[in-house]
Amino acid sequence: MMVDIEIEIDGKVVHGYPGESLISIADREGIDIPRFCYHKKLSVAANCRMCLVDIEGNPTPQPACSTLSSAGMKVHTNNEKAKTAQKAVMEFLLINHPLDCPICDQGGECELQDVAMEYGSDISRFTEGKRIVDDKGIGALIQTDMTRCIHCTRCVRFGAEVAGIVEMGATGRGEDLKIEPFLSEGIQSELSGNMIDVCPVGALTSKPFRYDVRSWQMNSIQTIARHDLVGSNIFTQTHKNKVKRVVARDNESINETWISDRDRFSYQGVNNENRVLIPKIKIEGEWQDTSWDDALDFATNGIKKHAKEGSQFGTLASKNATLEELYLLQKFTRGLGSDNLDYRLDASNPNNAKVLESNISLTELETIDHALIVNSYLRLEQPMINHRIRKATLNGASVSTINAKAFDFNYRISHSVLTSPQNTVATLSGVLKALHDKSSKTLPDYLNSVTVHETHTDIANVLLNAKNPVVVLGEHMNGNTCSDQVAKLVSEIAKASDAKTINASLTGNTHSAERVNFRPDNGKNALQILSSDLTAFALFDVYPNFDCIDSKNAIEHLSRDDAFVVVMNSFDDESVSSFANVILPIASFYETSGTHINVDNIAQSYSASVKSAGESKPGWKVIKVLADLLNLQGFDFTDSSQIADEALSLTPRISEIEVPTSNSKMPNITTVWQYTPYASDVVVRHASSLQQTQIGQMSEASVCKATAKLLKLSEGDLYKGVPVNINESVAEGCVFVHTNLPRQLGVV
Amino acid sequence: MNNICLKSIDKDNPSSLATYETMGGYKVWHKILNGELSPEKILEELKISGLRGRGGAGFPTGLKWSFMPRNQEGQKYVVCNSDEGEPGTCHDRDILRFNPHSVIEGMAIAGYVMNATVGYNYIRGEFMEPYYRCEEALKEAYDAGLLGTNIKGSKVCFDLYSHLGAGAYICGEETALLESLEGKKGQPRFKPPFPANVGLYGKPTTINNTESFASVPEILSRGGQWFANLGVPNSGGTKCFSVTGNVKNPANFEIPMGTPFSDLLKLAGGLRKGRTLKGVIPGGSSTPVIPAAKAMKMTMDYDSIEKAGSMLGAGSVIVMDDTTCMVKALTRLAHFYYDESCGQCTPCREGTGWMYRVLKRIMDGQGKSEDLELLLSVQDKMLGNTICALADGAAMPIESFIRHFREEFEYYIKHGKSMVENDG
Amino acid sequence: MISDQAKKEINTWVAKYPEGKQSSAVMQALTIVQKENGGSLTNELKQAVADYLEMPTISVQEVATFYENYNHKPVGKHVVRFCHNISCMLNGSDELISYLEEKLDVKTGEISKDGLVSVKRVECLGACVGGPMCQIGDQYYEKLTKKRIDEILDGLK
Repeated sequence: MMVDIEIEIDGKVVHGYPGESLISIADREGIDIPRFCYHKKLSVAANCRMCLVDIEGNPTPQPACSTLSSAGMKVHTNNEKAKTAQKAVMEFLLINHPLDCPICDQGGECELQDVAMEYGSDISRFTEGKRIVDDKGIGALIQTDMTRCIHCTRCVRFGAEVAGIVEMGATGRGEDLKIEPFLSEGIQSELSGNMIDVCPVGALTSKPFRYDVRSWQMNSIQTIARHDLVGSNIFTQTHKNKVKRVVARDNESINETWISDRDRFSYQGVNNENRVLIPKIKIEGEWQDTSWDDALDFATNGIKKHAKEGSQFGTLASKNATLEELYLLQKFTRGLGSDNLDYRLDASNPNNAKVLESNISLTELETIDHALIVNSYLRLEQPMINHRIRKATLNGASVSTINAKAFDFNYRISHSVLTSPQNTVATLSGVLKALHDKSSKTLPDYLNSVTVHETHTDIANVLLNAKNPVVVLGEHMNGNTCSDQVAKLVSEIAKASDAKTINASLTGNTHSAERVNFRPDNGKNALQILSSDLTAFALFDVYPNFDCIDSKNAIEHLSRDDAFVVVMNSFDDESVSSFANVILPIASFYETSGTHINVDNIAQSYSASVKSAGESKPGWKVIKVLADLLNLQGFDFTDSSQIADEALSLTPRISEIEVPTSNSKMPNITTVWQYTPYASDVVVRHASSLQQTQIGQMSEASVCKATAKLLKLSEGDLYKGVPVNINESVAEGCVFVHTNLPRQLGVV
Repeated sequence: MNNICLKSIDKDNPSSLATYETMGGYKVWHKILNGELSPEKILEELKISGLRGRGGAGFPTGLKWSFMPRNQEGQKYVVCNSDEGEPGTCHDRDILRFNPHSVIEGMAIAGYVMNATVGYNYIRGEFMEPYYRCEEALKEAYDAGLLGTNIKGSKVCFDLYSHLGAGAYICGEETALLESLEGKKGQPRFKPPFPANVGLYGKPTTINNTESFASVPEILSRGGQWFANLGVPNSGGTKCFSVTGNVKNPANFEIPMGTPFSDLLKLAGGLRKGRTLKGVIPGGSSTPVIPAAKAMKMTMDYDSIEKAGSMLGAGSVIVMDDTTCMVKALTRLAHFYYDESCGQCTPCREGTGWMYRVLKRIMDGQGKSEDLELLLSVQDKMLGNTICALADGAAMPIESFIRHFREEFEYYIKHGKSMVENDG
Repeated sequence: MISDQAKKEINTWVAKYPEGKQSSAVMQALTIVQKENGGSLTNELKQAVADYLEMPTISVQEVATFYENYNHKPVGKHVVRFCHNISCMLNGSDELISYLEEKLDVKTGEISKDGLVSVKRVECLGACVGGPMCQIGDQYYEKLTKKRIDEILDGLK
């Protein structure tokens, strides 16, 4: 039971919990106490001394951040004693702080500037030379100017406590104390940009934003980040119809107060020059810019001509499209009489999304005591989901993995099974069988001949010993031709161990896609659309050389003479130009209103932050006009929210997927293809600063010695265009490709 | 003189187990191992003895030990603070060099009282000779079966290890010492929580100074009352004083609390020929300076020194005669704190450098008339506003030197040179 | 990077601390590798210590830059660490440091031309009754005079 403690702050009676700090109570009560080192999400450091307050009975002022409330305490935050102490600290903070506010990007949103206005003096009594700190730089995302640093250590604590990668430190001592990394190699964390947000001064600012506009010249618009399954809450900050910066927006149940670097810096992609800005049609092999009317006519005529039967038409869409776009697009496709539609472009076997559902919320994830991560480099794939699991580990949760490679997680992995794609079904079956053995349940037939190894039993044991386990399935299984079995086995393992599940294999806005049934009921799935004799296609923000699992075949198939391809894309792409017949420019992220459904099934709608680039138009409007021109019914929308309302009012169809229990034959050597998080969709691929980071530049095909020998690969050779790195962190029998390069040679 | 912690100092082979045992060493420890001395009895004797922490703060040792949750499950630690570094202080070094077994026995007793089975003796990194002596003594004690698990079948366990620092004055602050012992920078922790609840590796821990531990066996051997009677009320027993500076024979003296300063000065051979006393820093560089007249009237105990306007501190008596330039002396002290500030708290990180620079400027003949008020104001803004007492230690000399020797500072500012003829 | 002998020494320190608390040995590990490297640390050595004790490198760097006894630039074969704090100062340390600097033709922080000696001014070494004093290696030299300094320097090889 929460016992209430009554204390008095500035004469006001307020309530706190036992062990609650004074500053936390004051914040809740709206009583303003100046502070720099205190941050509600970080451990207390009590080093800046700005929050000194007077506590009756105490000879010296005490910091409100580290002083815990006790019943009857009488606190003064602004009597003479408190003010004198606060002003003293302010003077000390300013003696070595440069007076470069006019050229500092933090100007106007600087905590030091704000507090100095209230507590500072106009004249400095410090006449000695100010400290100048030479700094090493920490990479492409964060601009350092450590002369401005006030040593609050928020960034250091962020790294150690939240990012889980200890990179920044406070070196030296006394006046020489310096916040810096060991070497200037650049920060590795996928959450590094949050250090900009926590820095109270202009020591750490956004590098891509540097010297662009002043903070007060921008509008801040509430919106949603669309790259992953979480839908982090953000503000886009715009100036003259351009997104200039993205910062985190608090939403405790979704992203708390953090966002991933992908969500923060990907806006640069939207501003990239490589956008399609004008409608284009291809006449006799030559591209011509044209008007919207002509382009739309050209598109609809082509569809009518090439898809006399609806079944000759197929639609592929990006998993990052909005709920509204996906809903209209499926309505359009089905309106034409076709059931050939899909968003699962990177899946070797698209029959898995419904096999395994997510049934644990982000906040509940913090309370788990064990996580089994299967086929995922979760830290880079879903940074905020991984962050919640890391929080659970800080409270004692353990984590085990079944992966093709040993990855750098930001927590300890207690049990790790390295397994190639072709052995994943066997491994999972082993774990499942071990679970059944332990709980003496009747063994299903398909597990009879399965061999259980010690490592399987170990994982089964930790799952059974856990009170609140979760099993997380990730991206790597998409390329696995037995992915439906993988998903099914994960689901069975969860059932057998009373574990919750997260299906993180399909990311972006895939929950919207599933919600609107953007998948065939009886028609053709992505692989089938790209390998059968359809003659008319619509592609919605699809770039096959990156997005399609068998990119080579996809491009060849769409390039057939008898194929008519209508492309609605936001970015220019050479291979798309080679096969498309008409390209209709659509709005990119932040340029359209829309809805994102996240892993917790929370639908978050947002409006456009800026107008669409060039002549491009929001995707939903383009689809609506195409439908109108083709005389399809039910497209009388004037506002995207009407589309969302309709889409969300329909109950999604539950499709039972038949999963085979026998292992289909797979090659002896397989490939796992993972994009860097900064190559995961077309927008982020165009974000230049992210590409310059260590994560962004990652491109290697890891293979163990034995497998390299079989493949006759040596260090530095190219494997599917990617440099080979021979190391023993990879399971035998597979090559783990982690890259930012397009897929050159298609499937495994 | 030299009856307790320094009592082996004139013996042959003073640090050996044999010497220690001939002086009655490990008697108390054997009594404990034989089950003849309860923790409660020990705490009671310590409280009667009036032993106060010898490291500087003077907190009653018995009371400190009683704060430990001795019945709480889990590991607890005893830590000895042998990070002697307060300028003017060097008696713990002699205890470690000449009487290491008294520290070992004191720590073992503490471990028994507080139910802590592991102890660390944090020795400053430069003290290699004392470290080697302590290591030899530890080996002797282990070989004699005085330490370890189930010692002599008593079920009492105590393991003791030496730890070496690497050069940082701040590690003498007990929570900085714990951080350092954990392999981190020596940055003091804010309190609460106190080490007795969250100490080394997050476990309940008691930290005492070398001299405090070294005093314990003799106190328990001869009784708390005996010890208390050696001293004066509120300052029980004897205390080691390092007398340094402008005296004929700088040395360490273990004398009864309440001994007149003038007697202590005589022990150190008095002032050099023809010199007069100018001022005394009685408790180490962090304590306020006392002008000659007042110093000659004070006795060496907590209350008398406090009445004289300073603190007994670590018992480090720095004597300054009429050849001393007080501006130079203060500048040197200011430099020390500027150099040793850990840097985490704003007032200390920024204030120590500021004060040093102003003083340096005065020394360079660039002083301004408003500088003394500035110095007084800066030190005032540091006092009491930081996590640990280093800032206070940096501030107090500034205030006291200027208060007592203001004319020397004004002279320096006005003339750009020292008022003291002999000083360059 | 770290010799077997050094690892052995580090291990004896690691053994003093509880399981998993091997970072308690970091200060001694740095001291040991510094000694082996002729008195100073390099980034590579700090990295190696971090790897050996399974600590983040920046944490090792924090420790290495916080404590006085680590050197980040090469030093002379012998480092004379001369106390200049109050007790030593009152007994003439400044004059002796100047004498030493003149004799070796170095300034504080520099290495003599023959690479044999460097001089460092340090804060209180806790031997105040023996001031003026200095430390060379593990050894303290107390009650120094110019004559004594001459003798000590002559003895350095």
